[in-house]
Amino acid sequence: MQHFERAIIKISRFIDLMAGVVLAATAILVVTNILGRVLLNRPILGTFELVGFLTAAVVGLALARCALENSHIAISFLTDKLSLSWQRFTELVVGLPAMFFLFFAAYNMFTYGLRLASSGVVSSTIRLPFYPFIYLLSAGFFMLATTVLLSLIKQVTGGKTK
Amino acid sequence: MNPMTAGLIGISVFFLLIALKMPIAYAMALVGFIGFASLTTLSAAFALVSTELFSAFANYSLSVIPMFIWMGFLAYYAGIGARLYNLAYKLVGHLPGGLAIATQATCALFGAVCGSNTATAATIGAIALPEMQKYKYDPSLSTASVAAGGALGVLIPPSVIFIVYGIAAEQSVGRLFLAGIVPGFLLMFLYMLAIYLVARRRPELGPPGPKFGWVERFKALGSGLFEVLVIFVISLGGLFAGWFTPTEAGAVGVAGVVLVTALQGGLTLEIIKNSLADTTRTTAMIMLLVGSAVIFGRFIAISRIPFAMADWAAALDLPAFAVIALILLIYLVLGCFIDALALILLTIPIFLPVAVTVLGYDPIWFGVIIVMVVAMGVITPPVGMNVYIVKGVAKTVPLELIFKGIWPFLVAIFVCLTLLISFPQLATFLPSLLH
Repeated sequence: MQHFERAIIKISRFIDLMAGVVLAATAILVVTNILGRVLLNRPILGTFELVGFLTAAVVGLALARCALENSHIAISFLTDKLSLSWQRFTELVVGLPAMFFLFFAAYNMFTYGLRLASSGVVSSTIRLPFYPFIYLLSAGFFMLATTVLLSLIKQVTGGKTK
Repeated sequence: MNPMTAGLIGISVFFLLIALKMPIAYAMALVGFIGFASLTTLSAAFALVSTELFSAFANYSLSVIPMFIWMGFLAYYAGIGARLYNLAYKLVGHLPGGLAIATQATCALFGAVCGSNTATAATIGAIALPEMQKYKYDPSLSTASVAAGGALGVLIPPSVIFIVYGIAAEQSVGRLFLAGIVPGFLLMFLYMLAIYLVARRRPELGPPGPKFGWVERFKALGSGLFEVLVIFVISLGGLFAGWFTPTEAGAVGVAGVVLVTALQGGLTLEIIKNSLADTTRTTAMIMLLVGSAVIFGRFIAISRIPFAMADWAAALDLPAFAVIALILLIYLVLGCFIDALALILLTIPIFLPVAVTVLGYDPIWFGVIIVMVVAMGVITPPVGMNVYIVKGVAKTVPLELIFKGIWPFLVAIFVCLTLLISFPQLATFLPSLLH
């Protein structure tokens, strides 16, 4: 269990770091495009498409750590008034469907990526394929679902809550 | 099943799930998916989840969100807030309640480089609260003034809440930013007036601070205000002038803060790393909300609830302002329990058609009003986000005491809202210049 938890935390932190790198690269791309457009009259072709794809990558890579740090907004003032055992019970009641939905979303997105890969769909300007970014988002949802699974295991085994 | 019945059941289940502490984004996506599947087909719902989520995230228009968030966190870590407070403190700190008045000016100016009200409250709280404690300010006034002032940033551009409203209501982010400027500064002056009146009546709540000479004041002006003005002008000025897209304005703002901080010798790898970590976390939270709201919104649209609401409002024998007042009351109540961003994403598909199509209100004006009302939620119990942030800084002050000090600020927001409803030009004049 501890190995599983440590692995989830390490992977989430690492991919979140990657999200930061991608975000910084996106900002640099946008500013370089402006400079190219204004100073040299030569904008970077496909910036519009790339920025969209890179934003999806940032979101996918950052989802899991956001959940690990309890940053996805939830309302706790009602459940806080319950006893600890009831709090564990309600977390299970809402955690299970949330986890199944997130695993399902990850799988669903993966199959969507497979379909786009086989049909060869690419962006209109720089002919960039969509599917790598969809796979990345799918992996992000998988990691997000895994963090919910980790939290549920802790509830069941009586481990410290996140 | 009747679509309306499915819609109402879906909304009830959603509220039940969030009351049981399911993250709002998960609840919106889950209920939206099941509701959509129940009214169409399972395969259509499958397609909805994959295509809508990817389209929502891989969207150039949404890339503005991480840019302005990063700009704000950079400003936070670079210490711009401290320099602004130093300026405001030297200008008005000697007045009754002067340090709390200085806090409002600092929050408003910091809001001009930061899009997040929680980041503003945390930044200014850490700087202003120890100072107010030193001059024996009553904790209820000092903490409440930081919590309320932090929310000024939602009106003063760049504002992440305006960006999210713009996405949900399909309105120009640039126009919304312009529309928020006058109401934002008006609210700042009303907050200042409220503090002054409270401190005049009960001087022990906010004793005057030290008085500084004009030489010292001018020195502070050079370091604090100048950098904010430079960043604001190159970033948002370019957006208002039509040179930049909102995403470009955000990226230029990021470059501006980096440059200004580097020129002052304060840029470190730590600042970049910490600001990026906070930005990716906040971005993931907001974007998941936005993506989930798209799924929930599709379900609500096919349930025909928005049409039924519009028909109901049209059939009401009430003047338009009474219907708007009713909508605002709903927002006010929900805003006490639900986060501002989530509330806007959740309700705009339902209430916007009523306000704009049926009642004929300007969607930009409606956005300013709604943002101001939901911003009240960040300082009202039981889920006043800014109050919890300030509590995190002033750990010894009980929550009840902070909420007790909020009243003068709530009165100021009500006065501001009344003025905005009576004189919509306060919000619509600046965006009309863009025509």
